Amino acid sequence: MARDLAIDLGTANTLVYMKGRGIVLNEPSVIALNRQTGEVLATGREAWQMIGRTPGYIVAVRPLRGGAITDFEITERMIRLLLQRVGVSRFTRPKVVICVPSAITEVERRAVTDAARRAGAADANLIEQPMAAAIGADLPIDEPVGNMVIDIGGGTSETAVISLGGIVALEAVRVGSFDIDAAIQNYVRREHGIAIGERTAEEIKVAIGSADPTHGENQAEVRGRDLMTGLPKTVLLTPEEVRFAIEDVISSIVASVIRCLSKAPPELSQDFLVRGMYLVGGGGLLRGLAERIERETQVPVRMSNVPLEAVVLGAGHVIEHYEALKGMFMGARR
Amino acid sequence: MVVAVILGIALRGRSEEDGVDSFRRQIDALSSEARKPTVERVKSAERNADDADSSTS
Repeated sequence: MARDLAIDLGTANTLVYMKGRGIVLNEPSVIALNRQTGEVLATGREAWQMIGRTPGYIVAVRPLRGGAITDFEITERMIRLLLQRVGVSRFTRPKVVICVPSAITEVERRAVTDAARRAGAADANLIEQPMAAAIGADLPIDEPVGNMVIDIGGGTSETAVISLGGIVALEAVRVGSFDIDAAIQNYVRREHGIAIGERTAEEIKVAIGSADPTHGENQAEVRGRDLMTGLPKTVLLTPEEVRFAIEDVISSIVASVIRCLSKAPPELSQDFLVRGMYLVGGGGLLRGLAERIERETQVPVRMSNVPLEAVVLGAGHVIEHYEALKGMFMGARR
Repeated sequence: MVVAVILGIALRGRSEEDGVDSFRRQIDALSSEARKPTVERVKSAERNADDADSSTS
C-alpha cells in the first residue's frame, strides 16, 4: 500500500510530501532528453546542471513555463519519473494532491491530473498554490479574519486573500523569478554587449539583485561571450544596474498585489494593517522586495518561516487530512 | 407519494446537516493545532538531515 503524496509542481522546483513522512523530494523541475531518440537522460538536479551546457543531441528543458505546461508529454514523463523515484509503481496506487497556479486552464488541469493517474496515482486532485501556501505558512485561515499571502514563484506571482478556509480575492500574473533572470540577461546583452546564460543571470540576481536599495551593496563580475568578437569577456555590474534591469518585472508584481488589495472586502482590508501580508516562494527571497511592497502598499509585509516549502507543506497537510479537506480541491467548491 | 415526500424531507434535512458537519470538519482540520504535526514532521526531518550532514562532514 503506497503512502499518499502531495506535489508542488513548480516552474522552478518540484517538491513531494509523503503522508506520515514529510518532504521526500526537492529537485529542480528540469528534464534532460536525447533529442534524437526522445529518451530521458536525467531529471531534477542532474538535469538542471546540464542547462546551457549540453552537446547538440541533448536538450535540458523546463516543461513548465510561466506557470503553464509548455509540453504536456514531457510534463507527464517528468511526473511519472518523480512518482517512481518516491516509490510509486503500478502495484502501489496512492492518492495524490498537486499544487498548481490558480490561473491554470481547464485543459492544463486535465493534463496534470491525467498525467498523475497514468503515472500510477489512484486519484489525483488539484489545489491552488496560494491556498496551499497559506496553509503551509501557518496563517490562521480557519478564522473569519483577512489573511493575505503573496506567492512569488518561478513563473507566476499570485496574491490571495483568504478567510474561513476559502479564497476571497485572488490576483495572478504570469511573471516570476525567471522573468527577473531574463530581464538581467537582456540588460547585460543590450548595455554591455555580452551574452550570458540563464544560470549566470540567476547567480547575478542572488549575488547583487534587489528590488529596493539595501545596505552593503557590492558590484559583481560577470563573465560571458562578447557579442562583437565572440571571445570570453568580463564586465562589472552594479546593484543599481540590476534594479533598473528588473524594474518592469518588480512593478508588475507590486501592481498585482495592489489590485488584490483593492478587491478585498473592507472588513478584511482592515485586518491586513494589523496582521500584515505574508511573502512565500523563492521569488520572495529577492532582497528589498518585502520592503518595496510595504512601501508601495503601506501594509506590513512579513516573510514566511518556510518560504520555499510553504506550498508543499500546505498540500501535505491536506493529504494528511484528506477526508476533512477534500472540499478545498479545485472544482470541488463549485 | 407520502413515503416519497417524507423521504425527501428527511434527506434534505440530512444534507443540510452534512454541510454543517463537513464545513466544521474542514475548519477544524485547518486550525493551527491540527497543522502542528505536519510542520513538526518536516522540521524533525530537517533536523535529522542536518545531523546526518554534520556527522558525515
